[in-house]
Amino acid sequence: MRWIEYLSGAAILAAFFLLGAFLHERGVPVPGGVLGLMLFYLALTCGAIKLKWVERTAGLLLRHMVLLFVPLTVGLMEMGPILSHQALAITASLLVSLAAVMLTTGLLGRWLLPALPDAAKEAPEAEAKR
Amino acid sequence: MSLSALAQHPAVSIAITLLSYALAVRLHQRWRSIPPIVAACLPIIAMLLLFHEPYARYNLGGNYLTWLLGPATVGLAVPMYRNGKILRRSLPTLALIVLIGSIVGMITAGGTAWLLGAPLPVVMSAVPKSVTTPIAIEVCRELGGIPQITIALVILAGVLGASFGPPLLRLARIHDDRAIGAAIGTASHGVGTASLVHRSEMQATVSSWAMAAAGVFTSLLAALLKLFLH
Repeated sequence: MRWIEYLSGAAILAAFFLLGAFLHERGVPVPGGVLGLMLFYLALTCGAIKLKWVERTAGLLLRHMVLLFVPLTVGLMEMGPILSHQALAITASLLVSLAAVMLTTGLLGRWLLPALPDAAKEAPEAEAKR
Repeated sequence: MSLSALAQHPAVSIAITLLSYALAVRLHQRWRSIPPIVAACLPIIAMLLLFHEPYARYNLGGNYLTWLLGPATVGLAVPMYRNGKILRRSLPTLALIVLIGSIVGMITAGGTAWLLGAPLPVVMSAVPKSVTTPIAIEVCRELGGIPQITIALVILAGVLGASFGPPLLRLARIHDDRAIGAAIGTASHGVGTASLVHRSEMQATVSSWAMAAAGVFTSLLAALLKLFLH
């Protein structure tokens, strides 16, 4: 019954999203989807929700996430004027910030991570899990 | 129902979007260099322009697909939880690194746009550009940005980071698998993560966790920023 699995997974994900959206509307300043994510992560950690109930649906949604932002991206067709006026600011912001994030995170990682004792042990374990 | 009323039903734009996406995936399978998002959007834009349909009417149906980004965001907890279990002991350190990376990303993106004289909505659209699209859109809306600009920046951050990230990191002599994964996941979200899958299991695992964590941290930081602005 693969369909039932997809549907019940979808119901669980939608329920957590709606809970998050509700809390957001009630004044929690974090976006509803992210609140849902955090609550859902907690539910997985404490075992209230089993990974296998939602694995398939989440995999499907994440695999085809591009489809979900097609409608908003099509809206770029109306953004011509603002994009051309702000082209320099937008491009510069993208390139500067991309390099800054990449180097800060990478250098901090180079400095802090190899000191951890299980650096070599975790890699084969990761492979076994997949 | 007349034919033109039928053509304006929201289901029609959903169907057109699904069809266009399916073709885009096929094209991407044959020619890897064509990004699916570009191949999926161009035919729709061309069609709307050709038939003089306003974007707002197309989006009546499109909104339903956009809504699904919410549940998809919740779904990000699944890889985060799975990879978090694998990474266990390095998780606190990784979290700290990703948090600092996210702060740097928000400040440099918004700051550069602001210094170059961009209006506030454009500045705010740049702030969440490092994180995965559904979260970036929500953060952008919270901050009063323009979602379309954020999407374009997010996609470019992903594509550019996936191709130029690894050489840049090599140049900075960063060779630790977990450091590379953290950098790519924090800067280039899912697109960067996908590009690591063929390189190293460990890099992809860390990157996938870092991408979700960066999304959560950026949302929390944006909430703080919003409080500060008011």
